[in-house]
Formats: sequence, C-alpha cells, structure tokens
Amino acid sequence: MSGTPLTAGTATGQLGWLLALAPPVVAGALYLAGVGALARNGTAWPVPRRLATGAGLCCAAVALSPPVTAAAHLFPGHVAQHLVLTMLAPLLLSLSAPVTLALRTLPRRSRRALLAVLRSRAVRVLTAAPVVVVLELWSLAALYLTPLHGLLHTSPVLHLVVHAHMVVTGCLVSWLLVGIDPMPARSGTPVRLAVLVVLAAGHAVLAKVLYAATPAALGAPAEVRRGAELLYYGGDLVELLLAVAVMAEWWRRTGRRLRAEERRSLRAPVVVGPPSGP
Amino acid sequence: MAPPAGPPGRGRSGRSVLTGVLIGVGVAGFVDEVVFHQLLHWHHFYDRAGSAAGLVSDGLFHAFSWTAVVVGLFLLADLHRRQATVPRRVWAGGLTGAGAFQLYDGLVHHKLLELHQVRYGVDLLPYDLAWVAGGAVPLLVGLVLLRGPARPLADLPR
Repeated sequence: MSGTPLTAGTATGQLGWLLALAPPVVAGALYLAGVGALARNGTAWPVPRRLATGAGLCCAAVALSPPVTAAAHLFPGHVAQHLVLTMLAPLLLSLSAPVTLALRTLPRRSRRALLAVLRSRAVRVLTAAPVVVVLELWSLAALYLTPLHGLLHTSPVLHLVVHAHMVVTGCLVSWLLVGIDPMPARSGTPVRLAVLVVLAAGHAVLAKVLYAATPAALGAPAEVRRGAELLYYGGDLVELLLAVAVMAEWWRRTGRRLRAEERRSLRAPVVVGPPSGP
Repeated sequence: MAPPAGPPGRGRSGRSVLTGVLIGVGVAGFVDEVVFHQLLHWHHFYDRAGSAAGLVSDGLFHAFSWTAVVVGLFLLADLHRRQATVPRRVWAGGLTGAGAFQLYDGLVHHKLLELHQVRYGVDLLPYDLAWVAGGAVPLLVGLVLLRGPARPLADLPR
C-alpha cells in the first residue's frame, strides 16, 4: 500500500479538500437560495427533495475527498468512487429536481436563457434515450477495455476531463430515468425501464469481462477481480434504487390520474352503455 | 361456480397475470443469485467456459429479473389501489414466470451456452434433472391456474 499520495504535504492536502468541498458547497448554497426564494413567495419546496440534495452533495464531497481519491489508485477504490460519483450522487441529485427549482426561482432573463438551453437541439439530442444508452455504454467500454485507463495516471488534465465526462454521462442517465425535472424529449415509463435494463445488463457484462480478462492497465489481477465484483453488486444496488425511482414517479402520476377519474365519476351521473355525444 | 358478484369489468385479469409473471421471474432470479451464488457458492461468478452470447444473455436476465421484481410489486400495489387484483391470475403468472425462468436458466444458460454449472466437482445429471424439474413443475401449475374462472379480490367472500 506504499506510494499513496496521502503524505504529499499539507499544502496540496488543503488544496485537495478545497477542490473536493467547493463544488458541493456552492451547489448546495445555490439550491438553498432557490428554496428560500420560493419560501418568500409562500411556496414550500418538498422536504424529501431538500434531503435528496443534501445526501447527493455529501456523496459527491466524500467521493471527491483526498482520502477517497488516494484510495482510488487501487482498482476497488476506483470502482467505489465511480459508483458513488457517477451513479449514486446523480440519482440523488436528479431526485432533488434542481432544474425545476431553477425554472421557478430564476429572474426572468436567466430563466429564459435556461429554457433556451433546455429546448436547444443539442440538449434534445443528448437527452434522447438511445443516445444516452450508447453514450454510457460506449464511455464505459472506452474507459475500461482500452488503454485509456492506463493513460489517466500520466495526465492530470486527461484524468479530469474523463472523470467529468463520466459524471455528466451518469447525470444524463439519472435525469432520463428519474424524470422529475423537465426534459426536451420525455420518455415514457416502459422506455425508461428498457433503458435501465439495457444499461444494467451492460454494467453486468462489463464487470464479468473485467473479472475474466483482468486488464493489466487496471492493476494486479486480484485487485481487478475484487473491483469487478464490487462493480457488479454495487452497480446492482444503485440500479435497484433507480428502478424504484422510475416506478415511484409512475405511481404518483397514475395516482393523480386515478383520483381525478374518481372525482369525475362521483360528480357525473351513472351512465349505462356508451356515452352519447353532447 | 357462482358468477362474479361485483360490477363486471372491475377485475383486471391481464394486468394480474403480467404482475405475477414479473414478480415470479424476479423471485426466481433472486433465489438463483442469493441461494446458489452467494450462500451455497455452488455456482461460480463466471467460470469462463461460456461464449460472449452467454455473457450478454446472463447480464440481460440478471438485470431484467430484479427490475421485474420492482415493477411487479408496484403493479401489484396499483391493482390493489384500484381493487382490481385477481389473485388466481397473479399466482398463475407468478408460477409460470418463475418456472419459465428456471427452465431457461437450466437449459439455455447451463447446458446450451455453458455459462456456469449447477455445481462443480459432482455428477451433474441429478442436479440438472432437479433444476429442470424445479422449473417444469411450477410452470405446469401456473399454466393450469391460467385456465378456469377467476374472480377479483374485491368480489371474493371475506
């Protein structure tokens, strides 16, 4: 376990903590400002969404913190960081509906700009279900099954770019599946479930391929096998949560429709046979 | 058999079967994973004997089975919410789904694609026969339950 840069000096240590904590803290502050603005207008923002934000940002902060980043030099640590940063945190953050909050609280001009971005062709293409599936699977295959992973340790810039790409891709997946925030190309529940099954199958296959092939770029064979099993079962756990999130959204939506139907049938007189025209 | 007492069309037979199938497939997959892979360690995570097709099939079934449990349980809750559950059809779907999954696992995954075996270092024949029978029996019972009259839960005598 030698060679971990835990003792790389307090200055870089403090910089590491700053870099790890600054993005989640800024994001959390912006979110709280939005919740406060709504509250001043007399609208309460749901507590579960606030809790989801807090949990998601805490996950991101922990995954980015220097001890975890240091542990990520070994493959199991890297997998744990990957699972939290690109799957668990995006799931929690998409449940907190930050885009909805922004659209409701931003000043007029910023809101119009945000809407223009959401309706742009680029976002429309990037959030389409087939694009998200291909992007996610292609990114995972490129990162783990090509020499790319070995190059990450040689270039900090490449490291940052690839990780940012993985986080953004993970966010696209979560936002598509959870479906609370407005998306230009909204998919139905069956499509979202199919996306989830295909992606989960892709993760399972990738984990087993890594388990069998143990690419040398990822580390010692025993380490890679431990990481692959963690990828398999940890991925399952987050994907189980994603399935619950997809169905919970369906449950709420159909429940609203059911209650509306009940109200209508209570008001309307009982009709026998096909309803006649007005 | 007495005719259904409640207002007609309240029970949802098709939805009940679908709900059962999803839960059945999911439970069969879950039992396979937890009991045979994790608790008994009879199955191997991946014994490298299989083909790429086998790996993809295994991954899809693995992903499908636990997604199916979640979807099935939500559909069951929705049926109850609408008072439209037809219990006989839920059981029919569940046993059919679990049996079919077990048969597919035993015949296609273990034998055709040779993904992994039931157990290692033993005579496989009795294990394979038990595996296939464990799929065929629930499948047949499920198919029997799919036939015949069935009433929604709301109309059953309490």
